[in-house]
Amino acid sequence: MTKHLQPASVAYILGLLCAAGGMLVFGDGYAWRIAALVGLYAAASIGFQLIFGRLGLLMLAQGALFGLGAYATAMITAHLGLDPWFGVAGAIGLGAMVALAIAGPVARLESHYVALATLALAQLVLLTATHGGEWTGGSNGLYGIPPLSFAGIVIVEGPALALVSWCGVLLSLVVAAAVTGGSARARHATIREAPLVAAALGIDAARARLILFPVAGALAALAGALQAHGLGVVSPAVLRFDVMITVLAIAVIGGRGSPWGAVAAACLLVPLPEVFRELESYSLGASGAVLLGVLVACPGGVDGLIRRALPDRTDTLPPVQPLRFGTETLLAEHLGKSFGGNRALADLSLCLEPGSITGLIGPNGSGKTTALNLISGIVGADTGHLRIGDRDLSGLLPVRRAQAGLARGFQHSVFPSELTVLQAVSAGATLGQGRAALDLVGLTARHDVPVGSLGAGETRLLDLARAVATQPSVLLLDEPAAGLTASERARLSGVLETLRRAGLAILIVEHRMDFLMAISDRVVCLVAGETAASGTPDQVRADPRVRAAYLGREAAT
Amino acid sequence: MIETALHLLPSTLALGASYALVALGFVLVINAVGAVNFAHGELVMLGGVIAVGIASVLPDGLAAPGLIVLPGVLLASAAAGLGLAALAYLPLRRAPPVNIFISTIAVGLIIQHGVTAGVGPEPRLGPPLAPGLDQSTMVIMVAGVAIAAVHLLLSRSQFGRMLRAAAQDPDMARAIGVPVGLTIAASFALAGALAGTAGLLLSNQYFVTPSDGANLMLKAYIAVVIGGWGRIWGAAAGAVLIAVFETLIAVWLSYAVAEAALYLAVFAILAFRPQGLFGDTEGRRA
Repeated sequence: MTKHLQPASVAYILGLLCAAGGMLVFGDGYAWRIAALVGLYAAASIGFQLIFGRLGLLMLAQGALFGLGAYATAMITAHLGLDPWFGVAGAIGLGAMVALAIAGPVARLESHYVALATLALAQLVLLTATHGGEWTGGSNGLYGIPPLSFAGIVIVEGPALALVSWCGVLLSLVVAAAVTGGSARARHATIREAPLVAAALGIDAARARLILFPVAGALAALAGALQAHGLGVVSPAVLRFDVMITVLAIAVIGGRGSPWGAVAAACLLVPLPEVFRELESYSLGASGAVLLGVLVACPGGVDGLIRRALPDRTDTLPPVQPLRFGTETLLAEHLGKSFGGNRALADLSLCLEPGSITGLIGPNGSGKTTALNLISGIVGADTGHLRIGDRDLSGLLPVRRAQAGLARGFQHSVFPSELTVLQAVSAGATLGQGRAALDLVGLTARHDVPVGSLGAGETRLLDLARAVATQPSVLLLDEPAAGLTASERARLSGVLETLRRAGLAILIVEHRMDFLMAISDRVVCLVAGETAASGTPDQVRADPRVRAAYLGREAAT
Repeated sequence: MIETALHLLPSTLALGASYALVALGFVLVINAVGAVNFAHGELVMLGGVIAVGIASVLPDGLAAPGLIVLPGVLLASAAAGLGLAALAYLPLRRAPPVNIFISTIAVGLIIQHGVTAGVGPEPRLGPPLAPGLDQSTMVIMVAGVAIAAVHLLLSRSQFGRMLRAAAQDPDMARAIGVPVGLTIAASFALAGALAGTAGLLLSNQYFVTPSDGANLMLKAYIAVVIGGWGRIWGAAAGAVLIAVFETLIAVWLSYAVAEAALYLAVFAILAFRPQGLFGDTEGRRA
């Protein structure tokens, strides 16, 4: 990663400095108050970007977490009489805790249920505040919340209020960069756009959520708490869906996932209803129209436009970090699976030894892909056991199997389009390991192009490299030669040969017999879910059952 | 207690029947495009506003003002449904569903604040269906006819079969010659018409307020969760259940408790019926 700022970031900083200069010269009390409000929305929206933009979850409780922060500090200072800074700290803690509680159960759900569950949570918080009696002040809310003070200065208005708010923005930017920078970007993009691939690479989505949710909640609550101290009052209005809508609009208009874009969009969007106060309905309707327009015409938002004008400098090639593969044997015993009443695979036993290539063949529908899915854990097995070395993998999630040394390539691979080749290949590894994997498949020269600009054959090789970069013991490949040109196939054979010599145990499902028979040490042939033959390529080729299955199929087609 | 419940039965069933129409339209769009229509509540509200508008130009003393405005409401709300499809779905049909979630939120904002700016934020009373007859009974009857019509349309007509085929597997449906674009447009129009009818039915007993939409949408959303994602009649049944639940708890305790209990029930369903939550296509392909 580069240590220097990207050109776009420099542009954002210059823009903000200009705005700050303008405020110092022309700003009146009202303008400073709006500037403070802009900062609060920017901070809450930066938090929202982590979940919505990075993890791709439509979490609709960010507005409620904002309001929760406001209420928390109001209650801590008003009821307990503690110092306002304690209130802010308490609010941050509460916001983080509530978001953490959401992260586990809610974030596992599908996106339409994430939206509903978080919406229901927000409604519950609103109901609690409205009917909380003296404790929350009911529908009137709480008054007389003491302002923050720092070094004897009471922060109630003007530049001081805006400064505190924008310190919150600065903090949000730093925290967001810390949790999403470097290799985290590729990990989050893979979790978001290709969850199965992420799991197969050993990228722990649950862990990513347990980090990003509390950070997002803490930032929302911080913003809400600062608002409560700035206004001196808090009422159920802070919990209305309008706050959430504004945050969502800022995130989309700013550019999904971009913290700086959120800051820019907050500067554009938040002052609108304040400036056109008497036209409140028009301005909210107008934000709806802008939101729709951005979705349709400019999905990258403000940040997308700025980065198109000022492209990021791509990573320089990191030094190679040599790949060290595990040398453990995968043992599958009596794996079986039925779908409905349909037996897809029966009693498959395999032994994949270090430094060997096993080919898995069979006519269409004979259970080859089911076998790969059972081994990698995408589909749970009905019967049988699986172990790598002396570790039992039966019943483990795909991500745990990957972490135990099992890697998998995909027939229809997905790469997050925002990544460069080097970032994409390093999703489950370090950049140095990714570089080594690129060297291996011969794509190093293409390291800084967007992953979408690779050809079909190169994309297949990149998929292989991405799996290899995780330094597995066992590698499963699903039709790696499909769609490759003759020269790419030759390159693939060379790569597989290198990996075998490096000690990997490799299982390949493949239709191209010439290719597979030439590189395999052993071949297993499935027919209708049963193991019809297994042995050296020559033995399997000569097996009458295999010949019947294939000739029968060819005669039929 | 039982006496109270019996006394409340007609109005509870009327509310349930109206909710069922809302939920039906909501789930039709989910099935057609695989996305949640956050503007669905605004379509309901819009139907109520249109009903109030048409009724205001009718002469006084009509026997059935609500029934007279119904055709106009149906047409106008079907057009609103089509307009929603044109704005929020059509330009984004190749984008991930979450973009359509957001675009419908955006169109909902435009409708809500457009109506507020146009006619003002205050609640309005809609026309009674037929002033001489019991409103709850009339609501149940009109909703019943609408539900029966939808049932016939979906189960008996060629169009209904195409709609269901397109919802189950759009690619396959397209391959066998179903005009998927047309069925999607029809789903939006039907959803709009059902929502508008519900708006008219609710407008006399519960007023019409431009900010009603979000709450109605949430009820429909919950009804779909109760009924099972994408199950048309499950959603309708879920909606009736919500109305009964709400009314009973509200009578026993308070409306706030009823609402809170409903949201807690959502968590319980999502937590304890996870097997029903993963039947979708999203995130499946690697």
